[in-house]
Amino acid sequence: MRARRTLLIRLGAIALLIILSVVLFFVGKSHTVLVDNKATTREGTDLAALKLVEVEVNKLGSLELTPRDRDKFDVTGQKHKVTVTYTDERWEEHTIVRTFTVPLMQDMVMIEVPALVAFPESEQSVWLGKYEAPTYAVTMAESNEVVTDDLAVFMSDM
Amino acid sequence: MTANTSKSKKLVRFLANNTVPILFLFICAFGIPLSGYSASYLISEIIVRLVRNSFLIVSLLIPILAGMGLNFGMTLGAMAGQIGLIFITDWGIVGLPGMILAMIISTPISMALGWLCGKILNMAKGREMVTSYIIGFFMNGIYQLVVLYGMGAVIPIRSKSLVLPRGYGIRNTVNLIGVRKALDDLLLIRIFGIPIPVGTFAVIALLCLFVLWFKKTKLGQDMRAVGQDMEVARAAGIRVEHTRIISIVISTVFAGYGMIIYMQNIGTLNTYNSHMQIGMFSVAALLVGGATVAKANIRNVFLGVVLFHLMFIVSPMAGKNLIGQAQLGEYFRVFVSYGVITMSLVLYEVRKKREQAVAGETLAAAQEVGA
Repeated sequence: MRARRTLLIRLGAIALLIILSVVLFFVGKSHTVLVDNKATTREGTDLAALKLVEVEVNKLGSLELTPRDRDKFDVTGQKHKVTVTYTDERWEEHTIVRTFTVPLMQDMVMIEVPALVAFPESEQSVWLGKYEAPTYAVTMAESNEVVTDDLAVFMSDM
Repeated sequence: MTANTSKSKKLVRFLANNTVPILFLFICAFGIPLSGYSASYLISEIIVRLVRNSFLIVSLLIPILAGMGLNFGMTLGAMAGQIGLIFITDWGIVGLPGMILAMIISTPISMALGWLCGKILNMAKGREMVTSYIIGFFMNGIYQLVVLYGMGAVIPIRSKSLVLPRGYGIRNTVNLIGVRKALDDLLLIRIFGIPIPVGTFAVIALLCLFVLWFKKTKLGQDMRAVGQDMEVARAAGIRVEHTRIISIVISTVFAGYGMIIYMQNIGTLNTYNSHMQIGMFSVAALLVGGATVAKANIRNVFLGVVLFHLMFIVSPMAGKNLIGQAQLGEYFRVFVSYGVITMSLVLYEVRKKREQAVAGETLAAAQEVGA
């Protein structure tokens, strides 16, 4: 009876740890959100870049973008809020606030600001896309010879 | 006259019991003025070293309680911690959640390695330290096999910045930017401009409290009994081998956590070397604090970190100012670090033999009186 109880407690502890790990994975997963203000095309319509636009993701501070500008926000978790503030040709200020979800295993996504401004009520797939960084940007120099040192001394890392 | 003799005997005993810390105090007292460092710089550096190393060194206390000496096998825990860090870096889990996840990943690996280490140490009773030291080297081979050939080939690693250009194996250095200072910056306060990472100190304090509490538990008392005399403990119904294994498992698990705390402070993982250095300098720091192979407490940990690392900080600059070469200070600190371990071990053996001789003489005298 006692052995059974011990086993149950151990199994419960393991299950709790697994659940905690999953929660930590979701909460701590980092993503890079690129915000891009370049001319683009949606549904056959050419969308010009905005002359000046202010973009903020969550409460991470706003960024000002001029045409052909691209910047980034580093975020954790999957659900985020983007706030876009811009002035139209009649000098009227508009603010668009949208929430979006980043796919769990996607490291980088890109918000195309002109598309978001043109289709503010559309699904997020219209203005938010996956982004794969080019290979040269993620790999380090080739000369990375592995050095193993069994007789490690005190000098380094201290 | 008798009072004076008693006082001088006490003084001699105090000096004999604290030879290493006193020697280090002299080295530091000599080196600090020579180095020319300001007090605030030295204090901030010491605080950094305290938060970086204390957890690792506290993990050495429990095997000493169980009479297993200095656990050089803590490198196994360090390897487990590093594996946890490699995984969270690959998955892109950052901040405190990343650190905790790395700890969770390291736990079963540390437990398995600790259990294996404990089993082997039970087969080598009386030679635990050298055995655990060699187990560290042996396990380093397996770690290299897994990390250098398994990861990316058998164990999936997504991140191209982690994998070697050939497509498998982890690079020499892993950038831990995602978890860098995650714990240190959690509750950072400044006192006279010196940053104090209260969060990390709180975690270290929790571990110290755990160790103090653990010593009072049934298992802690069993470990103490096993450490004093295995045969007596066995006769008292204590499962000696099992208790010894548990002490090594606990130490290895804490060493894994300590390595993660150490690495988050540094911010860069030296994949194939970091863990090998950890065991040696943690043991050296504990010995500098006045611990012996058979006796160590929390005071020894903190005194050891302060004195040992103070010597590390001041010696290069002191060497440079003294004879114009910083390199001499580097050699000096390496030589002193290894020297202090040797000296502590020799002093311990000499003291043990002297105590045995005195006990033998007392027994012989008592038998003569009885006859």
